[in-house]
Amino acid sequence: MSTPGATDWLVVDDLAPSTGGTLAPLYAEAADGRLAMPFCTACAEPLELEQLACERCGAIGPVWRPVERAGVVHAVTTVHRREPSLLRVDEPYHILDVELCSGHRLIMTTEQPEPAAPRIGDPVRIGFRHVGGVAIPAAIVAPPAKEETT
Amino acid sequence: MTAAAITGLGLTAMTFATAAPVEDLALAALRAAVADAGLRPADVDGLLVNSSQGIRPDRVGVALARHGGLGDLRLLEHMEIKGATAAAMVQRAALAVGAGLANVVVCVFADAPLGTGGRSGSSYAHSGGVDGVRGLERASGVLGSVPTFALLASRWLETRDGSPEDLCAVACTTRAWAVDNPDAVARAPLTPADYHASPFVATPLHVLDCARPVNGGGAVVVAAGDHTAATPHPPVYVRGMGQCHPERRRRAPGESWFGGDVCSAVDATLARAGRRRDELGTLQLYDPFSVITLCLLEDYGFCGRGEAGNLVRSGATAPGGRLPTNTGGGQLSAFYLQGMTPLAEGVTQVRGGGGGRQVAGASTAFVAGIGGRLDHHAFLVLDREAA
Repeated sequence: MSTPGATDWLVVDDLAPSTGGTLAPLYAEAADGRLAMPFCTACAEPLELEQLACERCGAIGPVWRPVERAGVVHAVTTVHRREPSLLRVDEPYHILDVELCSGHRLIMTTEQPEPAAPRIGDPVRIGFRHVGGVAIPAAIVAPPAKEETT
Repeated sequence: MTAAAITGLGLTAMTFATAAPVEDLALAALRAAVADAGLRPADVDGLLVNSSQGIRPDRVGVALARHGGLGDLRLLEHMEIKGATAAAMVQRAALAVGAGLANVVVCVFADAPLGTGGRSGSSYAHSGGVDGVRGLERASGVLGSVPTFALLASRWLETRDGSPEDLCAVACTTRAWAVDNPDAVARAPLTPADYHASPFVATPLHVLDCARPVNGGGAVVVAAGDHTAATPHPPVYVRGMGQCHPERRRRAPGESWFGGDVCSAVDATLARAGRRRDELGTLQLYDPFSVITLCLLEDYGFCGRGEAGNLVRSGATAPGGRLPTNTGGGQLSAFYLQGMTPLAEGVTQVRGGGGGRQVAGASTAFVAGIGGRLDHHAFLVLDREAA
């Protein structure tokens, strides 16, 4: 996990997200190293990040609570296009859609630059990057298993 | 309800050059459509406008009515369902003229995403802000729309046991149609070798998997009854219409971006039009990325699950194929003018005005616009015959 005062490896500080609004609980928990996700206040159904009401029971208002910082890769891309005024890197970087153990899906990059992209279905842990002092979920990619030798 | 028809089509030049103000583009398209319908601006009594949700602050709004020198109107609305809006405007206009709320309604869209130098990628990368989910994703390196659709594409290929050759086939097939479209911005024939040599934007999407944004505008005139008489073209009847906004949750266990029950809405649209899929002369689908053509062929029921790649690779959607699709070159090769791209080509084909790309006997077109990440769908069945 990067430290709050560190310079992010991927994007410039101008891309630091606004920590208010609907996602305020995510950022508040992330600042303390926890990953919080929204659930229906009545039936506990996992909700999308900006979902205001539950489609299953109709209750209004999510409740955010910490979830396990783990999941699997649901989709993955390696971005080759560079935008020099917004990115700090010259090399391609990976973006993952991670399906968390809680059922939520969250799009993130990797906590550190990775030479190779994980594959769909690979397990990941969730850490945090800091962009402009704001903690943002990021994937910790497990190293590939060593081949057994006989 | 009186049968409504599209009687005028107006397109500005599609350009990479630094644009005129977007309202100027909208007015030029409006005037061109009215003239194409054989009418005068004073004949217009309804105006529907759609602006891009894109990246420039100057957007078309209802002020176009006043700025554009139109007279008293009986219908004036700004509509917004993202890329589905063009088709939805025609639906709204057809219902209005059919019910007698207005006689001649112009539906107009214009956009000017390209700044100095004519490059769109940087413009899109710098748009989106820092609020909400978009702000979180941008801080994670999701700049512009390509990375999100690249995630969709990766998921599509994974779940359909697909191949990069499926995407290549879409890009090459669509370009084959653009060769004979003088309005297309990319007309040189495209080979698989060309495709694979083009750089990646975000895997698995190459540059040639992505739409060609332009600065430009498009408009159509919708009228009914006696008000269709002035057009020198065959009226293009709005024979069927429908919408679908599927609830597709981005969480386990379903897919985030495709699937769900969209097909039944297409079935209902075709049933209202009294047409079967095998009676359609052309398909005009919203194709901002090659993979979306594959998704829509399947989600709209033109092939079974997992069959879209083989369908395109078989040549079925290409010139001479049994399912001519995006016959002007689509957004991939012709121009990305959001929902106006498939709408304009649908009108052109039903009129029989496609020149070298005209599909023989194509008197019916299925036109579809999509919005968001396949969150919104609006359908039209355009036909030389009223229902």
